[in-house]
Amino acid sequence: MTIGDARIRIPDRIARGDLIIVNAIVAHPMDTGFFRTAEGQPIPAFFIKDVVVTYGDEQVARFEWTSGVSKDPIVSFTLTADKEAPLTMVWTDSKGGVYRQSVAIAFAAA
Amino acid sequence: MPQPPETSSRRSFLRISALAGLGLLGTNGLLQSQGSAAGVLGSTGPDPEIPNEQVARILKDLFGDRPLGKGHISLDMPAVAEDGRIVPVIIESDLPMTADHYVKAVHLIVDHNPDPHLAAYHLTPALGSVALQTRIKMKRTTWVRAILETSTGDVWAAYAHVIVSLNGCG
Repeated sequence: MTIGDARIRIPDRIARGDLIIVNAIVAHPMDTGFFRTAEGQPIPAFFIKDVVVTYGDEQVARFEWTSGVSKDPIVSFTLTADKEAPLTMVWTDSKGGVYRQSVAIAFAAA
Repeated sequence: MPQPPETSSRRSFLRISALAGLGLLGTNGLLQSQGSAAGVLGSTGPDPEIPNEQVARILKDLFGDRPLGKGHISLDMPAVAEDGRIVPVIIESDLPMTADHYVKAVHLIVDHNPDPHLAAYHLTPALGSVALQTRIKMKRTTWVRAILETSTGDVWAAYAHVIVSLNGCG
């Protein structure tokens, strides 16, 4: 995976009103700035600092992170699936890189 | 709404059952004293002391002089983390997520990390519940604090003591 590749996983079948679990991962080194390369060069801090979660038009969550979150950060949270709309996550890193991923929340026929 | 003692005892019971199932209980004095006192039964025992000025300032900036209640939040972490680069964290709360009353933020603080205020999760009622999972880095053995703030300004905390074998912060 290259930096910024992201994946959002939601259940295959969702009914209106379900409390679903959303799992997300983004590829990122999450460098703390405390490590050095094998040649002794310091590796500067480089990490995801902000994650915004939008469901339809509504911002439903925002996460502020530091380099203390592990490499290739994962996050999991719940969501009440009460409308058919895209779920979008935008990760922003400490060098201004912006990474976006969306999944469609749609209801299975009964 | 369930009362906190019921919930925490139920959770504790589940966790103890899980540990017993894995054969971890009673086999290792370290696990038993550290794990069951802190990581497993997070809602018992005294609050961990504030270790340094940095953590004191973070708590003061976030919560002022408001009391930190114990309950309504659980922090699940391993009692022993072999690799400090990847330590799993599960945070849950039994508090409602309705338009009038909801958990508006969860803060994760690792006492002895270089940057102790590791993450802040800003939430809304649309999430339906508080059930967060992530993976974090830990520098060394320390207390971890998960502290939530409700829309009405109440503050609830849970603590876990984690023994770290390999420094994950450099």
